[in-house]
Amino acid sequence: MAESSDLNFIEGTPAVVIDKVSMTYRTTSRSRDGSSAPAVRWKGFRSAVNRTKAVEVPALKELSLVVEHGESVGVIGRNGSGKSTLLKLVGGQVPPTSGAVYATSTPVMLGVNAALIPGLSGDQNIVLGCLAMGMTHQQIDAKYEAIVELSGLEEAIHMPMKSYSAGMSSRLRFAIAASIDPEILIIDEALNTGDAQFKDRTRKKMLELLGQAGTVFLVSHSMPTIKELCNRAIWIDQGELIADGDPDHIIKWYRMFTQKLAEGDRFAAMKLRRRMINDLEVADVADRNSLRRSRA
Amino acid sequence: MSTETPAKPQGPQPTAVATSVNLRGLRRVGARPPLLDYLVSLWDYRHFVYYDAQARVQTGNEQDKLGRAWLVLSPLLNGLMFYLIMGVLLKSGHGIENFVAYLVIGVFLFQMSSRAISVSSRAIAGNKNVIHAFQFPRASLVLAANLRELFANIPVLITMLVLVIILPPAEEISLRWLMLVPVVGLQFLFNLGLGLILARLVSMFNDVNQLISYVLRLWMYMSCLFFSIDKFDSVPWLKGVMEYNPLYNVVHLARECVLYGSLGSWRAWAILALWSLATLAIGMVFFWKGEESYGREL
Repeated sequence: MAESSDLNFIEGTPAVVIDKVSMTYRTTSRSRDGSSAPAVRWKGFRSAVNRTKAVEVPALKELSLVVEHGESVGVIGRNGSGKSTLLKLVGGQVPPTSGAVYATSTPVMLGVNAALIPGLSGDQNIVLGCLAMGMTHQQIDAKYEAIVELSGLEEAIHMPMKSYSAGMSSRLRFAIAASIDPEILIIDEALNTGDAQFKDRTRKKMLELLGQAGTVFLVSHSMPTIKELCNRAIWIDQGELIADGDPDHIIKWYRMFTQKLAEGDRFAAMKLRRRMINDLEVADVADRNSLRRSRA
Repeated sequence: MSTETPAKPQGPQPTAVATSVNLRGLRRVGARPPLLDYLVSLWDYRHFVYYDAQARVQTGNEQDKLGRAWLVLSPLLNGLMFYLIMGVLLKSGHGIENFVAYLVIGVFLFQMSSRAISVSSRAIAGNKNVIHAFQFPRASLVLAANLRELFANIPVLITMLVLVIILPPAEEISLRWLMLVPVVGLQFLFNLGLGLILARLVSMFNDVNQLISYVLRLWMYMSCLFFSIDKFDSVPWLKGVMEYNPLYNVVHLARECVLYGSLGSWRAWAILALWSLATLAIGMVFFWKGEESYGREL
């Protein structure tokens, strides 16, 4: 990395600090190439015991970001660029391979990923999900009707979740997750699913939550949505932070990038990508209390 | 992502700007709280634990035509099987007073533990979706699994006592039967402690899951379900090992209280209590140490 130019002093407390976070998934691959040819007599044994080999997939390279209260950050990038991984790390669903995420309160992830228990009925899942988010029975009673209404499930709410269609269960999941009023809200594309009627309803609910939440992270492939809802945008490509700044500006360059790729002009796209990185300033985070206190 | 070229040109690097932030008042997301805070948050999630346990008991056997009757039928069939093999064919119950009741108590109580242990060992690995969806103390999943088994076993315990009453020679109902409550209570604590240990181990190495059923089977033979411990008088060390086996003590104390008109020896109670409390304490600390790792994909 280039040497630091000047010091950026952030007044007050930020809402979320992402400090050199990276994520590497370990998984298996059946690909044969690249293996360091084991001795012949081992080969049979090895392939019998373990037909696949472990590979490491870097989903997110070291990334730092400071987000202040009142900022809503739109995350853009191609499929598989690490957007969802970043949100999972911020939400604490998955621990990072290295680095740490700090936040003023536990961020709440809003999406259709909130998988529930298939054997239980919809209404049982509502109670269970709300309890898992730390609500009391009284709070749940107060919100139950609103959740059922938002999910639009009506009578099906008493049937087990495994009998639901994919759309029905994602609606229920969204409705449950949306029932909490978080200070830091994370939204993963999610909301593009469902029919027009549901989309309209979720959109309303989302705007309502956005109004209440202090800080928002939003992943979306819909650029108008990002432009409308966010006052800051970051662009991630192949697990790397490419750009960070004003949504209009970032989206303009991102569109140009995807257009070049669509035209098959990979060279121009990569040139653009390099230029964005060159212009990027990333935060090298230091806690100013760290001299007095060891980092938690 | 999949098309990532290995030899990508080392392009320009972004400019690093030293940024001074005030991290006071911020907490690391997903950080493991101190043990005491962890236990308090576990208590705060008691409604979740209770609801999860109770809801899953209700729907556990929904696919079966006989539904929840299986909660009672399965230990009943198990007992019958052991009676046929051990009692009738092998005559292992030779010299045991009221062998049928002896066997029933052994099989029923052991099965409670073995089910609770194997269910709670999968409580983390099998609930990844819930773990990814919500932030809550993960030990509540193991606790809920054990509580669910305890609820499911209340009818089993009642069946056990009914069998003891109706099968000849009939036993008299006495106040001593109430001592089953502390026995089952200590057994619950032991299962919970062991479940916590295994749940973390299985979440680290899924292979452990494969071993559990074998270990449980060996354990079953070591717990004197269908023969008397006196069989091992000639092998003192083996008898010694068995006497320190917590599940043997569970079964033994239950038999003493229900069948043999005594309250059991202090020694047996002490061994069982020590096992239960120590396993629970160790299990809790061991599980808490891994709290941050449970969201990780294997």
